[in-house]
Amino acid sequence: MKRTLSIVAALMCLASAAMQGQTRGGPQAPKFQADPMWPKPLPNHWILGSVTGVAVDSKDHVWIVHQGAATLTQNTEMGTGTNPPTAEICCSAAPPILEFDPAGTLVNSFGGPAAGGDYQWPRCVSSLAVDTKGNVWVAGNAASPGGRGNRQCTNGSAGTILVPDSDPATAGARGARGAAGARGGAPAAPATPPPADAHLLKFGPGGKFVKQIGTAGKMEGPDSQTTLNRPSNVEFDAAANEVYVADTGNRRVVVFDADSGAYKRHFGAYGSKPDAAADLGKYDPNAPAKQFRTVSCVRIAKDGTVYVCDRTENRVQVFQKDGKYVKEFFVAKTTQGGADGGSAWDVTFSKDNQQQFMFVANGWDKKVHILQRSSGNILGTFGQGGRMPGEFVGVGSLAMDSKGNLYTGETFEGKRVQKWMNR
Amino acid sequence: MKRNFYIVAALLAVLTTLGFAQFALEKSADAQAKAAVMAPKYEVDPMWPKPLPNKWHIGMTIGVGVDAQDHIWIVHRDNQISASEIESEGAAAPPVLAFDQAGNVVASWGGPDKQNPSRYSWPDSNHGISVDAKGNVWIGGNGGGDSHILKFTQTGQFIAQFGKAGTNRSVNTTGPGSNDPENFGRVAKIFIDNKANEAYIADGYLNKRVAVIDMDTGKIKRYWGAYGNKPDDTNFGNYNPDAPLIQQFRTPVHCADLSNDGYVYVCDRPNDRLQVFTKDGKFVTEKRIAPRTLGDGSTWDIAFSKDPEQKYMILADGKNERVYIMDRKSLEILTSFGDGGRQPGQFFAVHSIAMDSKQNLYTTETYEGRRIQKFVYKGLAPVTKSDQGVVWPTTTNKK
Repeated sequence: MKRTLSIVAALMCLASAAMQGQTRGGPQAPKFQADPMWPKPLPNHWILGSVTGVAVDSKDHVWIVHQGAATLTQNTEMGTGTNPPTAEICCSAAPPILEFDPAGTLVNSFGGPAAGGDYQWPRCVSSLAVDTKGNVWVAGNAASPGGRGNRQCTNGSAGTILVPDSDPATAGARGARGAAGARGGAPAAPATPPPADAHLLKFGPGGKFVKQIGTAGKMEGPDSQTTLNRPSNVEFDAAANEVYVADTGNRRVVVFDADSGAYKRHFGAYGSKPDAAADLGKYDPNAPAKQFRTVSCVRIAKDGTVYVCDRTENRVQVFQKDGKYVKEFFVAKTTQGGADGGSAWDVTFSKDNQQQFMFVANGWDKKVHILQRSSGNILGTFGQGGRMPGEFVGVGSLAMDSKGNLYTGETFEGKRVQKWMNR
Repeated sequence: MKRNFYIVAALLAVLTTLGFAQFALEKSADAQAKAAVMAPKYEVDPMWPKPLPNKWHIGMTIGVGVDAQDHIWIVHRDNQISASEIESEGAAAPPVLAFDQAGNVVASWGGPDKQNPSRYSWPDSNHGISVDAKGNVWIGGNGGGDSHILKFTQTGQFIAQFGKAGTNRSVNTTGPGSNDPENFGRVAKIFIDNKANEAYIADGYLNKRVAVIDMDTGKIKRYWGAYGNKPDDTNFGNYNPDAPLIQQFRTPVHCADLSNDGYVYVCDRPNDRLQVFTKDGKFVTEKRIAPRTLGDGSTWDIAFSKDPEQKYMILADGKNERVYIMDRKSLEILTSFGDGGRQPGQFFAVHSIAMDSKQNLYTTETYEGRRIQKFVYKGLAPVTKSDQGVVWPTTTNKK
């Protein structure tokens, strides 16, 4: 570990100025430097799809969840994962849930469709949380019908890549690829669209399925106590043994008992009754919507306050656990990007008792903001767009370990998790 | 007493035999160690190049070349970057970029001549970049109607266009196609033979040939198809690894590089093979690489080592996400490195490869890989693994 750190430190020297955030007035914000050699390469020629969840457990193990084949290009990216295979050596999708030890070695992997049909694996897994007993929670937010090919899980503009799945210049040379379909070219739209994800799954230690809350395709509105609607985020509260869900399609946060799955309560923006049907109009930075536009994270601070990301409203709202509204603050008010945009994607907190700092993943602007938690003031920012270490494509999730190192997950074509060492 | 003597003698005999055997074994192992296969060793440099200025982004990076100053030139598709990738303060980088050894951008230009759009035809789809001894920059194009190549100065001043845009067989369907004496069919790569003032055109994504041109006039001097055959534009369907080897290239013909000793190595990509010819197009031999690879195929691009004998040839395989190190003369694969992924040393669609004078390797990635990566040359080392996996930097003290 020490040896690795010294190599990395040597490598970081040149680039450190470029990658560290600029801090303004206020408390001294922590500084970070990307570690390009974390995690260690996956075995089995496994690759990641869009990473949509990052969590750190009580052993400082880092968990991620990714969307696998739903976000991988069949005929170019996952040649050994197609049936029949189209490559000899590489690559195939890693299992969706991955656990790394602090050194970055993969120590556990599971998830995906149930062999026996015990549960419905989400078409677009959107989040994961790890509780204090080693249980793993995942949520899914696939729309119906959703996108096609490798873009099943985007909502809109992120999928608007200006070339199709494959290199257009080679498409003509591949003859009957698309028509045959058997090798996994973009399939024809199915007659019955697959149902939307509307559920959570709980797995026990070792990846054994425990419980499903909600049912794919079954959405009964924002007052429902048993159904969800494209939940984007799940968070575990040890103090009350509850799980909080960013229930995006219902424009609410809903809370369940972590053991029984029983409904506890829910609340909408400003603590009011959620209205999933109201037309919110176009985003207007000067007139914040009265409903959550895209509720995308729920995070609970040590002091019991609940932070809720409303991604495409560029804001974070703060509540008491019972849903009583406290305040809101804005991250980057001018950020647009349509359904795949916005600036408030995920939040995590520093590890001091006061949790002085909070970190906001801004997936559209390709940055992480460091905020003073009490005021919501932005103290610094790090990252920029790109594919090199220390750069971002779609940074949408983040978590911190006990030593103050940050881990960021990248969706869309980012398809990686990066470790940011606390300097 | 006699019996004891016989026993002892037998024991001695056995021990002596064993001793000789041991000696013989050690000698053989010694000989083997001395004859260990050596190959260039590489480690990725995760921090090369430096972050681009101006919040620039690069798209599909589909060509790399090194010039006489050891500057590294790339061409990328600047016009095909999605909205979700470029932050509001950012922009697509100009299509042609050059880096110095430290990883700073030292040149950036390219695109149509906006003041005088008819002066030359910028490719519909950029593909391939090479620099000649005079420092001139050559660019190919594999867009649907691209039938031409372009030559610029180092600073991006237009010099010449060879071939007329929009004349290839997809546009001129009854035209000569792969046998066109003047125009190309979606060029993949241009390899410069400075000494002979000739360039070898991997022609290409539509045509099924190698064409050799005069570097000054662009005149096509000779061309050939697979096995030295006359190129045939018939559609022979998809590659089937179990079918008899086809007598034509399958498109794209993706590289055509000339060695110092006068052999042309051609990447017949969807056919998963390299074919070797003399400079005149006489077929010499072929080698299949990962022959069960379908779709884009396995033989994407090559580079030769910098010793005069060019003992080694490096091959990029953007479907298996691998770089192979081969013995050039025998075409044997000695070892390989790389794997799929988005971290340093991993690849998505490793497409083009070039070597600088210090034997460092530069790879570029297309599709959503969209990077250039540098692999630092660590000297020759004994081959211990056929698959080294991801080659991250290590300490000097090996475990």
